[in-house]
Amino acid sequence: MACHFCDSLHDVELIEEGQTAYCNTCGSILYANKPQSLERAFAFGLTGVLFLLGMLFLPFITMEAQGNNLTTSAGETVIRLWLTGGPIISVAVAIFIFILPFFQLASLIYLCLPLLSGRAFPGMVPVTKLMQGLQSWVMVEVFFLGTLVSLLKLIKLADITLGLGFWSMVGLMLSLAAAVGGIDKLELWDRIEVAYRRRKTPDVSVEGGVEC
Amino acid sequence: MLASAREKNKVSCHTCGRINPLEKASCLRCHTPLHSRKKNSVQRCLALSLASIIAYIPANIWPIMIVTNLGRTEESTILAGVATFWQMKAYPVAITIFIASVMIPALKLLALGWLCALSAGWIETNPRRANRIFWLTELVGRWSMVDVFVVAILVALVQLGNIMSIAPGTAAVSFGLMVILTMLAALSFEPRVIWDNARQSASS
Repeated sequence: MACHFCDSLHDVELIEEGQTAYCNTCGSILYANKPQSLERAFAFGLTGVLFLLGMLFLPFITMEAQGNNLTTSAGETVIRLWLTGGPIISVAVAIFIFILPFFQLASLIYLCLPLLSGRAFPGMVPVTKLMQGLQSWVMVEVFFLGTLVSLLKLIKLADITLGLGFWSMVGLMLSLAAAVGGIDKLELWDRIEVAYRRRKTPDVSVEGGVEC
Repeated sequence: MLASAREKNKVSCHTCGRINPLEKASCLRCHTPLHSRKKNSVQRCLALSLASIIAYIPANIWPIMIVTNLGRTEESTILAGVATFWQMKAYPVAITIFIASVMIPALKLLALGWLCALSAGWIETNPRRANRIFWLTELVGRWSMVDVFVVAILVALVQLGNIMSIAPGTAAVSFGLMVILTMLAALSFEPRVIWDNARQSASS
């Protein structure tokens, strides 16, 4: 394989679970053998989807100020944002916080479930590409930091109670990190290639073996 | 320094990492179009950085938030927001916002310019250092979005009729645009070119 940063050509050696291979030239990570990778990615992916639903629909925050009482879920917050004059921002929030994370988790589940038993589902190659492309654009953890900063502002204006929706967001942030970080990119591609080869479809060409 | 895939007439797939013969147009495993080096990476990166500098100006001049408090309207820019937090003695918040909204974008643009100058061969440095800085640039870019999210949450939640309401300012959109543009600029940058230059000067 070649290093993603400096293009140095390396021979791929088998490494034990929990070990990581680094590039000899520039020191970047080449590949890693993560323990129980498929099981973990699948389990955390599923957990993440549940937390995402919780974040969308459960009460996120309750504010009380001068007799006004307001309880909203994160989903409602985006709708309120649309209505109060920030349509572009509300679409951006919906995309970065709900839609892209959902696609990322859904593709991870779609890939890991059949691979657990070594099977290949149709369209695995485009789904993996989609998942990788979304990587930089999922911003749940940035939103979390934004929520903390806003809370510090809001505390001065009203009495704040955090609801289950808020804790779902924390859960979503952690499961996303665990799910995506749970499996190495090269391992995933190797497993897909092996699964397709077992099915003997021409969808993935296999000349040259499993070397990556 | 190890030989690069390109020197051995190979190309590694950007998507799945498989090694392909250099003459292949698309990856044998995942069918992604292959590029040994991203095309026109310096031009693209510079163009996107320039675009984000253009968006960075209104993002700092225009108000990011418009607060109406008992009929009194107050517009605040990003820097004014930082100053307010500082005066309120909320130092961690002031520092967080200052780092995420002011320092990271500025440093990121400087880093991208420096990296482009390196790949164009105008200046030279230890390629390992360039590598670390590129990795850091890619890593921190998204955190600048924090201010946009803060505005989003405050606008959605603080709608107390006549008592107090918050509306997003024009800077919120230009700031978000700036962050997205710098992220795209980092994605279009090709670190391998710096290593090609280093290999060339090591062999000559």
